[in-house]
Amino acid sequence: MRNRVVITGAGVVSSLGDSSSSLQLSLCSGRRAVRPVELFSTAGLGCPLGGEIPSFDAQKYLGRRNLRPLDRTSRLVTSAAQLALNNSGWSESMRNDEELGLVLGTMFCSVHTISQFDRRAIEVGPAFASPMDFSNTVINAAAGQTAIMHNLRGINTTISTATTSGLQAIAYATDVIRSGRARALLAGGADELCFESFYGFDRAGLLCRSDQSAGDFPIPFDKRRNGFALGEGAALLMLENAEFARRRGARSLAEITGHGCGYDCSQGEEEDSAVEAIGLAIRRALNDAFAGPHEIDCLSASANGSYAGDRHEAKGVFAGLNGQTRKLPVTAIKSMLGETLGASGPMQAIALLETMRDGVLPGIKCLEEVEDDFAFELIGPDNREINLETGLINSVGFDGHCCSLVLARCDEN
Amino acid sequence: MKQLRVVVTGIGVVTPIGTGRERFWTNLLDGRSGIGPVRSFDTSAYRVHRGAEVHDFEVENYVSTLDAAHLGRASQFAIAAARLALADANLEIASLDLERAGVSMGTTSGEPREVERFDDLFISGKLERVGPEFLALYPSHVIAAHIARELRFAGVNIMIPTACAAGNYAIAHAFDVLRAGRADLMLAGGSDSFSRITYTGFAQLGAIAPEVCQPFDRNRKGMIPGEGAGVIVLEPLAAAKRRGARIYAEISGYGLSCDAHHMTAARPDGEGAVRAMQQALEQSAIGPPDVSYISAHGTGTPTNDRLETLAVKRLFGDAAYRIPMSSIKSMLGHTMGAASAIEAAVCALSVFHDRIPPTINLKEPDPECDLDYVPNGAREHTVRVAMNNAYAFGGNNASLVLRKCEYLN
Repeated sequence: MRNRVVITGAGVVSSLGDSSSSLQLSLCSGRRAVRPVELFSTAGLGCPLGGEIPSFDAQKYLGRRNLRPLDRTSRLVTSAAQLALNNSGWSESMRNDEELGLVLGTMFCSVHTISQFDRRAIEVGPAFASPMDFSNTVINAAAGQTAIMHNLRGINTTISTATTSGLQAIAYATDVIRSGRARALLAGGADELCFESFYGFDRAGLLCRSDQSAGDFPIPFDKRRNGFALGEGAALLMLENAEFARRRGARSLAEITGHGCGYDCSQGEEEDSAVEAIGLAIRRALNDAFAGPHEIDCLSASANGSYAGDRHEAKGVFAGLNGQTRKLPVTAIKSMLGETLGASGPMQAIALLETMRDGVLPGIKCLEEVEDDFAFELIGPDNREINLETGLINSVGFDGHCCSLVLARCDEN
Repeated sequence: MKQLRVVVTGIGVVTPIGTGRERFWTNLLDGRSGIGPVRSFDTSAYRVHRGAEVHDFEVENYVSTLDAAHLGRASQFAIAAARLALADANLEIASLDLERAGVSMGTTSGEPREVERFDDLFISGKLERVGPEFLALYPSHVIAAHIARELRFAGVNIMIPTACAAGNYAIAHAFDVLRAGRADLMLAGGSDSFSRITYTGFAQLGAIAPEVCQPFDRNRKGMIPGEGAGVIVLEPLAAAKRRGARIYAEISGYGLSCDAHHMTAARPDGEGAVRAMQQALEQSAIGPPDVSYISAHGTGTPTNDRLETLAVKRLFGDAAYRIPMSSIKSMLGHTMGAASAIEAAVCALSVFHDRIPPTINLKEPDPECDLDYVPNGAREHTVRVAMNNAYAFGGNNASLVLRKCEYLN
């Protein structure tokens, strides 16, 4: 019998709030974080918009700790970790007694730090490159810095699978707890908004264009969608062995009952292959959760406004749920947060925990006309009241990665 | 509960001392060095000039589905290692259930040369020349993605960029994926390309040796950055037996821990490394004295080799002196995220052939490094159990245990 895995807390630093409840409030009041980027110049780029965290200051969460060695990504992760530790009651003394670990999903960690380190070496000479920056050029830098700051001595794994990184990290952590290797893990993801990655997405033609009729915004599943907005943030869940959480008197917010993944070898170039991979991930997640399609009360979609990606997801969900999608309430919070890459899946999970609590599923901002052949009827700009017992979270990457996760209400509480 | 047993049935490597299992293994046992003057970029502004690069690599021999011109160097290495591993395992892609075939890879830097190109164009005011290829080639996940795309593997696909221990992490994860029944076959390993960013960083840390890599020697002066890839085929024992596969070794367990101490320096007491080794042995139900070979992280830096020796002595006690422990980085340099994957392949080969590769350039013993490092010559030795140790930036420690695969028919 495998160990059951529950969520006992969450920490989020986002452009729409730094707690689960403030994020949910923003999402449900249709606030949008996507606006002209201020962190760097977007002059000459096709898209000037991003979901930036305005005046992010890690000191607010981390007090007087020394933040100098940390870049923006590491500051986001250490802050979210502090919030998740507080939220789940993992005090410093508990962390001394029990090895707590971290599984972090990130697409880039900090390509900005990497690039700055390299540019300095080229412009001024290798002897002037900063050794401290070098330690932050590894893709597991944020996970390492967070372990140091919060004394996390258990497993410390970084996972990089594009936009699915964060959800994949939760899936990885779930299996580690199920197998009994760890009793508690922080799991989630993060990515920062920075010039280098922004430039890459812009040049790839993936970002929303400013000639959009309804405004310069991403509208998942809408006929007018023409790209996504890049966002940023960090989101971490505290995952625990259910029995261990019960014995320590922790409250359980929800149970992770299943997850699954698939890979589209055409990397989105062939619709059939993309749809099949998304459907496969969903079916595997449902099988893992011993749940049928009819038991799913809502979908938190990965859709971010990209033309092909949203189409593949709509079709993939239809395939994965055996066509039972017309009466399925659907949300896509990237319409408001933008595409936060590694943070996106965990942010979807955190928002869904709030829906489980308050019964409100946020609408999809500005969604007016759903594509005709997307088999969704319970989808639109308005919030929806639902009784969420079992929810499905999707994460679909740019390069073929698909991950799905099933969250269920805990019966004992 | 009876756990599924996972075995290594194929090995593919691209290394500074040869590509392909046979050539690599022969050169390794012969104590050949792959270290020479850096050719990838101009090192005249540096105080050090040597590296362990792969020179004889012909990508067109390995890439058939994809266009090699649109692949970064680490992806090219990874695809080659994956193809070699499958061929070594005598597996035809047509015979596989592709939705149950997965890829788990590790790396330190992903495709750093793409950022280097970005930076060069940025500095010279020609950034507009950076097009869609930057996003298509750079993010580290492309390494695992490109392998899957080349081979049409539609199952688990994961990249674990945990720096210099990444190969062990990726193999450990593949082991778990198979045990959880989430795949029937996994390609697992690591890949990294020679990078000016990495070279600059290690040079600035004063960690690069000027001439040779001489782990555990009293006069050791540091590591030598390298490049390469290692991929192994993992499958359940039952499946391997059914198809009559050659089994190199069984993976019996792993341990992962974090020092939570410093980004680039290990804990002075070796406590994190001890915990990782301990976990790996416990999961394998093997006592420390039963380990017959340790593949050391053995970078050749003064601190690493001393602390690693200390950690092994802390866990193994007197038995530490009886267990041979060598560092192939003396020959390959430090191939970064590929290192522990290549070393895991070496452990599997040691278990299979009962031979242990040497630590070369070990001339003058260091009083603080007083174990049996298999100095300067390969050795015949019965290897029932091999332990593969790897340590990384971020305080990451990863130990993997491989053993002779014994079973009753």
